[in-house]
Amino acid sequence: MSAIRVDAKVVMLGKESVGKTSLVERYVHNRFLVGPYQNTIGAAFVAKPIQIGEKVVTLGVWDTAGSERYEAMSRIYYRGARAAIVCYDLTDSSSFQRARFWVKELQNCEEHCKIYLCGTKGDLIEGDRSVRQIDYHDAQDFAEEIGAQHFETSSKTGKNVDELFYKVAEDYNNSAFQYMTEETGVDLGQKKDSYFYSCCHNN
Amino acid sequence: MTLAAGALTTQTNPLNRVLDLHRRYYYYKRTHLTSSIMSQRTERRGIHVDQSDLLCKKGCGYYGNAAWQGLCSKCWREEYQRVRQKQIQDDWALAEKLQREEDAAYASSHGAQTQPHGQSSAPHPGHASLGPFSKFEEKKTNEKTRKVTTVKKFFSPSSRTPPKKETQEGKTPSPSISRHSSFETDQVSRDFVDFLKNLQRPGREIHKQCRAFIVNMSSKKDLSAEELSECVQDFYQNMADRLMSHFKGSSESVEQVMDQVEKYIMTRLYKGVFCPETSDDERKDLATQNRIRALHWVTIQMLCVSMDEEIPEVSENVVKAITDVIEMDSKRVPRDKLACITRCSKHIFSAIRITKNEPASADDFLPALIYIVLKANPPRLQSNIQYITRFCNPSRLMTGEDGYYFTNLCCATAFIEKLDAQSLNLSPEEFERYMSGQASPRLHSSEGDWALAGSAPDATAVATTNPVLVQLNQNLELLSGLISKQERVTEAAQSLQADLLSWPQSVEREVHGVLEKYPLEVAPRTVSAIDANNVDNDNLPPPLTPQVFAG
Ligand SMILES: Nc1nc2c(ncn2[C@@H]2O[C@H](COP(=O)(O)OP(=O)(O)O)[C@@H](O)[C@H]2O)c(=O)[nH]1
Ligand SMILES: [Mg+2]
Repeated sequence: MSAIRVDAKVVMLGKESVGKTSLVERYVHNRFLVGPYQNTIGAAFVAKPIQIGEKVVTLGVWDTAGSERYEAMSRIYYRGARAAIVCYDLTDSSSFQRARFWVKELQNCEEHCKIYLCGTKGDLIEGDRSVRQIDYHDAQDFAEEIGAQHFETSSKTGKNVDELFYKVAEDYNNSAFQYMTEETGVDLGQKKDSYFYSCCHNN
Repeated sequence: MTLAAGALTTQTNPLNRVLDLHRRYYYYKRTHLTSSIMSQRTERRGIHVDQSDLLCKKGCGYYGNAAWQGLCSKCWREEYQRVRQKQIQDDWALAEKLQREEDAAYASSHGAQTQPHGQSSAPHPGHASLGPFSKFEEKKTNEKTRKVTTVKKFFSPSSRTPPKKETQEGKTPSPSISRHSSFETDQVSRDFVDFLKNLQRPGREIHKQCRAFIVNMSSKKDLSAEELSECVQDFYQNMADRLMSHFKGSSESVEQVMDQVEKYIMTRLYKGVFCPETSDDERKDLATQNRIRALHWVTIQMLCVSMDEEIPEVSENVVKAITDVIEMDSKRVPRDKLACITRCSKHIFSAIRITKNEPASADDFLPALIYIVLKANPPRLQSNIQYITRFCNPSRLMTGEDGYYFTNLCCATAFIEKLDAQSLNLSPEEFERYMSGQASPRLHSSEGDWALAGSAPDATAVATTNPVLVQLNQNLELLSGLISKQERVTEAAQSLQADLLSWPQSVEREVHGVLEKYPLEVAPRTVSAIDANNVDNDNLPPPLTPQVFAG
């Protein structure tokens, strides 16, 4: 039936139209679409195997509906995620505030979820420095503070996109072995959530 | 309705609810609910139905239900438990038979080999004990635990003699049992054994442990839904861990076996653990169902769904999606239910792709799924979501594509529960009017106008040109004509009723009048004995007298 076996769940979070869908689209299909009403492109769920050394890690990337009317439901989406790519638009400071909000949510609710902070639309600031609203170092400081990786990407040019996802897969691969050994010693009290962190004991 | 809206808006998401359940579930008296619905119904129609027609056939005083063969839900459950008990015995018998066949097969292929014994330690009170497959021989000495030996005797090849004692243990005489469902379970058992045969010795062990687990679970009917879920999840986890070490970390093989294990176990356990009495799933099902009914007026435009149902291919896919999500309720195995959701989702994706001429994204998909759920009103939606959450093999549910679609279904359900004016871009007044049925969005906003806020002149212009809309308007006129006719009929009926009520009074009045006018005067002369006039006829035969006959 649904063929691809997925190792880890990666969820895309961020304010509407920061470019989550574009990022997934660029990564999976290696393309970028522009146009007046092109805020909805690509697929909602994608699974792509990545070669990490001798191993193959398959990330299942979950895109989320951006519209605010569904925001209350986002929690359902990031349950059990091993990684979250929290996006903000480099040219929109309000989107960075939103990113902080998501980071706080994740820290409170999903302790096993690794956070990747991602500034999008890098091509726009390359053309015109003045449109940048989020300073690289401010974002970098914030990332260090929360123990997250930080990337600035462009879905238009493809800059840093593959690197971002490769890093996610690599980190997962490194942590997977460690996590599995931890897992066997897990206490019964934790088992209640087995539904939510199951992805970890199938490799 | 207010019940559904009020009670559910507080819990935003079904998964949260699942987690919270074990803390705050309460026993809901479903009989209460059924009876109140019944009485409501009869009142509304103003039809008198003999109360005894509605009561449970067992005579317990609660209301019965046709779906439960005229019993109330409690008596139905008791009745059903008895049937199930019998089924378990049948299962035993079958398992025994299959085991013997299997043993024979092994005996012929393996000759005189050491017999495997795999029970590693005393069973955990809640869970069937599992032994690592790779260490059968070493564990041989450990098998002293009583509880397991009964189970084991069945399955270990050494006990070729028919185990009479054990089969009698569980027997409670229960006549008149239907066996129609056992065909499916038999088939599943056979498939399971066939599948395990390929795995050789570990296969026997898996079978043994699954059997033991099912028997173990059948003795735990009183557990809460969350506890049942925990038992099953623990079993999955233990099984997966054992398999993992057996297959040396090949997750493909583990998952393959786990799928079969889930199918086998959940086919057996389904009836007892789907929408269990100890949960309030049934109440939620009713609430959601009513909620979706009350939202019948929500249009595809309000949800901003990019599916154009006027394209035949799109509407075909919409119909298929609806069928798939409804079909979910008919499946027993969590994974089969999930597959229905996935199929439904794929049809939605097709519908969007055809409409938009480009692949759909999450922004298109979720609203479309909400629309499909509203249109389908899938039976026992909450029960199904809970059942999948509780009993599905978690690795599938969590990460893969199926999990993504399932999560979206949970979201769609949560959205529908807490849907308000804002979520449809309506004013609160509009929302209220649609909800109460005072207005219908179809009456004053044009169907053909895809933009939500079509101004009035535009709407009428479109309405006169588009044949579909002309037809629609005609139908609406017809309907409003029917409404006024119906009102007239109702009025007439009411006056007739009033007439009927006053009729006995007027008759009584008339009778009184007549009695007053012509009072009854008893004339003293009238000795009105019939025989008085027949003095001459003495030779008539004597009157008949009743005779008594013995016997
Ligand atoms: N120039 C530029 N535009 C982008 C980039 N990523 C996204 N966009 C545009 O931003 C808008 C929103 O993108 P989308 O991926 O739909 O955002 P989402 O709501 O987060 O999924 C679209 O019009 C995209 O074309 C980028 O890297 N560079
Ligand atoms: Mg998007």
